[in-house]
Amino acid sequence: MVEFWDVYLLPALIIVGQILLIVVPLLVAVAYLTLYERKVMAVMQLRKGPNVVGPFGLLQPLADGAKLFFKETVVPTGANKVLFLVAPMLTFILSLIAWAVIPFDEGMVLANINVGVLYLFAISSLGVYGIIVAGWASNSRYPFLGALRSAAQMVSYEVSIGFVIVTVLLCAGTMNLTGIVLSQKGSLGLLNWWFIPLFPMFIIFFVSILAETNRHPFDLPEAEAELVAGYQTEYSSMAFALFFLGEYANMILMSGICTVLFLGGWLPPADWAIFTWIPGIIWFGIKVALLLFVFIWVRATLPRYRYDQLMRLGWKVFLPFSLLWVVLTAGFLVYFDMIPA
Amino acid sequence: MSFIDKQARSLLLAEIVTGLATTFRYMFKTKATINYPYEKGPLSPRFRGEHVLRRYPNGEERCIACKLCEAACPALAITIESEPRDDGSRRTTRYDIDMTKCIYCGFCQEACPVDAIVQGPNFEFATETREELFFDKQKLLDNGDRWEQEIVQNLVADAPYR
Amino acid sequence: MPTLTVDGIEVTVEPGTTVLQACEEAGAEIPRFCYHERLSIAGNCRMCLVEMEKAPKLIASCAMPAGDGMVIHTNTQKVKEGREGAMEFLLINHPLDCPICDQGGECDLQDQSMAYGSGNSRYHEMKRAVAEKNMGPLIKTTMTRCIHCTRCVRFATEVAGVEDLGAINRGENMEIATYLEQALDSELSGNIIDLCPVGALTSKPYAFAARPWELSKTESIDALDAVGANIRVDSRGKEVMRILPRLHEDVNEEWLSDRSRFSYDGLKTQRLDTPYVRKDGKLQPASWSEAFEAIAAKLDGLDGAKIGAIAGDLVCTESMKALKDLMDLLGSPNIDCRQDGAALSAVRSGYLFNSTIAGIEAADALLIVGSNPRHEAALINARIRKRWKMGNFPIALVGEQRDLGYGHEYLGAGPATLADVASGKHSFAKTLKKAKRPMIIVGQGALSRSDGAAVLALAKKIADNFDLVSDDWNGFNVLHTAASRVGGLDLGLLPGEGGKSASDLLDGSLDVLFLLGADEIDTSKLGNSFVIYQGSHGDVGASVADVILPGAAYTEKDAIWVNTEGRPQLGRRAIFPPGDAREDWTILRALSEKLGKTLPYNTLAELRAAMIEAAPHFADIDVVTPAPWGDFGVEGATEDSAFVNPITDYYLTNPISRSSRIMAQCSAAFSKVKTEGTGTNG
Repeated sequence: MVEFWDVYLLPALIIVGQILLIVVPLLVAVAYLTLYERKVMAVMQLRKGPNVVGPFGLLQPLADGAKLFFKETVVPTGANKVLFLVAPMLTFILSLIAWAVIPFDEGMVLANINVGVLYLFAISSLGVYGIIVAGWASNSRYPFLGALRSAAQMVSYEVSIGFVIVTVLLCAGTMNLTGIVLSQKGSLGLLNWWFIPLFPMFIIFFVSILAETNRHPFDLPEAEAELVAGYQTEYSSMAFALFFLGEYANMILMSGICTVLFLGGWLPPADWAIFTWIPGIIWFGIKVALLLFVFIWVRATLPRYRYDQLMRLGWKVFLPFSLLWVVLTAGFLVYFDMIPA
Repeated sequence: MSFIDKQARSLLLAEIVTGLATTFRYMFKTKATINYPYEKGPLSPRFRGEHVLRRYPNGEERCIACKLCEAACPALAITIESEPRDDGSRRTTRYDIDMTKCIYCGFCQEACPVDAIVQGPNFEFATETREELFFDKQKLLDNGDRWEQEIVQNLVADAPYR
Repeated sequence: MPTLTVDGIEVTVEPGTTVLQACEEAGAEIPRFCYHERLSIAGNCRMCLVEMEKAPKLIASCAMPAGDGMVIHTNTQKVKEGREGAMEFLLINHPLDCPICDQGGECDLQDQSMAYGSGNSRYHEMKRAVAEKNMGPLIKTTMTRCIHCTRCVRFATEVAGVEDLGAINRGENMEIATYLEQALDSELSGNIIDLCPVGALTSKPYAFAARPWELSKTESIDALDAVGANIRVDSRGKEVMRILPRLHEDVNEEWLSDRSRFSYDGLKTQRLDTPYVRKDGKLQPASWSEAFEAIAAKLDGLDGAKIGAIAGDLVCTESMKALKDLMDLLGSPNIDCRQDGAALSAVRSGYLFNSTIAGIEAADALLIVGSNPRHEAALINARIRKRWKMGNFPIALVGEQRDLGYGHEYLGAGPATLADVASGKHSFAKTLKKAKRPMIIVGQGALSRSDGAAVLALAKKIADNFDLVSDDWNGFNVLHTAASRVGGLDLGLLPGEGGKSASDLLDGSLDVLFLLGADEIDTSKLGNSFVIYQGSHGDVGASVADVILPGAAYTEKDAIWVNTEGRPQLGRRAIFPPGDAREDWTILRALSEKLGKTLPYNTLAELRAAMIEAAPHFADIDVVTPAPWGDFGVEGATEDSAFVNPITDYYLTNPISRSSRIMAQCSAAFSKVKTEGTGTNG
């Protein structure tokens, strides 16, 4: 009995506790990301943004959540009911389980596996299923078109994301995310982070995750001017809310991955006393918030791409360029014998 | 040269960066919006808001049922019926404005020879039901009593330009 | 034939034409207020100023006879300034109260000040105010608005023949007034409302009710008397707001009698708007099918001889044709359209106003028998007066002595006098003999008597003896009071072989009696007859009915009306009948189907085709088809009693006017005859 407790139950409870410790703040973060987005957009458009519900509108996400919660879940007559309801759950769950391998600080990671990068890559590739299932199950024109666009788009940009990650792996010499972060540790502070030597790759990676998360300017799957709301058109109430949460959790996740790969994870920008006092998880949060700001900033600035332009960028620009950069990086490392051990 | 210039700009995402810089600059500008229900923007004396039927200072209703507003109304929102009142004067027995039809063009106010129908400064008269937007004579007269002061000020302010 | 030049256009006009008319001939529009084609020339508004070459000043074109070689300019700067000046003077004392004026929107002064006025005012002094005048229940006065054109005064004196109106005081203090502070006692008084170019005289019942631009205008025919005046029905929604005359030179010129003009509010009251069936002695509202079933049950297997029908006064020819055909199908000869029992036969020339109304102006002697045309046909009376004013028109009256509005010789009260004239013993016989185009007008008062046929024969004898009828002239006239009568006679609504006439139908000998709008009847002897009443108003007929079928009033159906001249005219629907009421012929058509005797027409066009087959002149709308002289009347002994005029109260002759509040007020104000409280005694 004691053995069962020690070997199975306690670790399971601990893991569940750890999961909750990640998921609950994450969901709160997602909620406030919506407010963050609305506020930042408002400021850039000379507006005030939500300011009525609670001080500075801080309770706005709760109000929105409550509203969605109390709405009726409408399932279209022609829809495949099971898949229609499974799709948002799938998206939501996938956006959460990826967090298992993200290191928030040294050792502060749920599963410190050696192939963390591959795990992330696998999970984010699965994300497309939620969308394409939603589009198909709705049995409606706009969702179907939206889902097709989304699938093609996500698949296309995953390719270049893959090559970008390969360059980072070449430089870091490990697939363990904690290892990647630690490989950026050095006396030069932020100058040691991979975004400096691999700056073009950082840009390509950032642009690609915009496309991967269906964000502006690549929000063609839900381009309201053309497709109403894309694959979400038929969704309402909590089913819609799950999609919404999933998408925004994905944004945070991608920002987190970007932070880990290029911005030195939890590392402070310099080894100065004040900076080192601040816990690593705060640094991680600040960097993620900064990237999310750029997400929103881009949304407030750029118009939507045309679909052919999107595809051209993915296949004809990013893919050759990142491939070339992989070759160059590898050649550089081999030539100067700088391959990490 | 221009080719190289163009390619370099394209490679360095010059236009995107310019755009991002613009939006970033805008973050620090003064807000164009105001905190609406608590703050309100200035209204012109000619603002065409909710209709009112005015009275003379002695309480006599101004409207004389000439039906010019009804004739002028391009949306056919006004319905008037009239008959001689007991004292023989010409008065409306019915003065209805269908606010759901009204397009707030101000022709009724323009047509009125006695300044009886006026579009006042009130624009906050949203209702919960459609029926509440079918204004009858009593509702319009009540509006008039409520907004008389503001309307008089507006008329005085606008008088030199009429 | 003077020839003159107007704005460079040369026109030749009749001698005696005014410059104004010549200008119109040349296509130049001349503004005017006081000038009116049918009234004498006053020349006091000065609005018609035009420039004449070689004249030192502008001339008033309405008062200047056209002369040979005149050169007129109507659009020079001088004329423009002259008109502006005249307009400015007219507006000096005119209150600018157009918004509360009922004339607003159809006001000559408004229109012309827009077109010819200067646009701004220089007048800052006080305006005068004039006290209102009492002109009775029909005319509302706002004399402050009066511009003293005196059209009303001239109309009252010249056309209506009542010298009650005039201008009192002078200069600034001039006022138009009734001298004796009493209502204008004329059957044509409503016309001064139309004549008034400003809002000084307006319609009292119509006061503040509507604006001209809100009204839909339907050109129709009046059915409240037998003149068939052309009217324009102005309606708004499902309400008739007013009735105005329409120009028809051969019928009503541009006048309309007060009853026809002001009875419209009777169209809204006392209406039958749903079928009724009498159950347990009380009339109960019912559905159409219930009403039809009640009739079908009663008629089932009944012999045609036990069924009868009477058509009333306000019935259109379409429904009479349908009724006649239905009675034929039921095998009944008992049908009559002469509810007053007038002794008229099927000979067409024996019941028409053969001379035609316009023809009065060509006549040169007139004998009126048993009629007061002033009440029975006010517009025909106006024609007679018009002819009388031209001079050389001796008029004689046999019957009740009344003020007819023109000078006449009173001969006597009864048939005896008529017989004297017929035999040539009477002095007036010489006048008739001398006349080239003598006329006789026989009223219903002379015919709806038990000796009516003999009186008719006497009248025919006069016509024959004094050459009233020649190749180009027919001076024999019957004056009807009911709009339906001539049409009914044309369509043969007379008792057939062995059939009973109206008075016999009412004696209770029938099992089923169909009253088609018949209300001026004696219902005391009906007994156990099952009465079906079809009509628009709850009046005498409806009160005795066992089944009521709600029909349409004359403004609510497309119908052909035949006036006393025999002129078929097309009336048009202005509004829809109220409630469940339907157009009358469709009711009869539906009933016939229920009875298994379906009438052979489904549309109005098919019905009219059937009517034209029965009476070919129905095809010629607005044409008087002359009737060949025939043989009518039954010579026989006449009674001694005096002729009694059929109309005791001009304002209450039919169900519509009896339902009208305005007519009740008029009756109280004007009629010398005391009416009984019920208002249904005709």
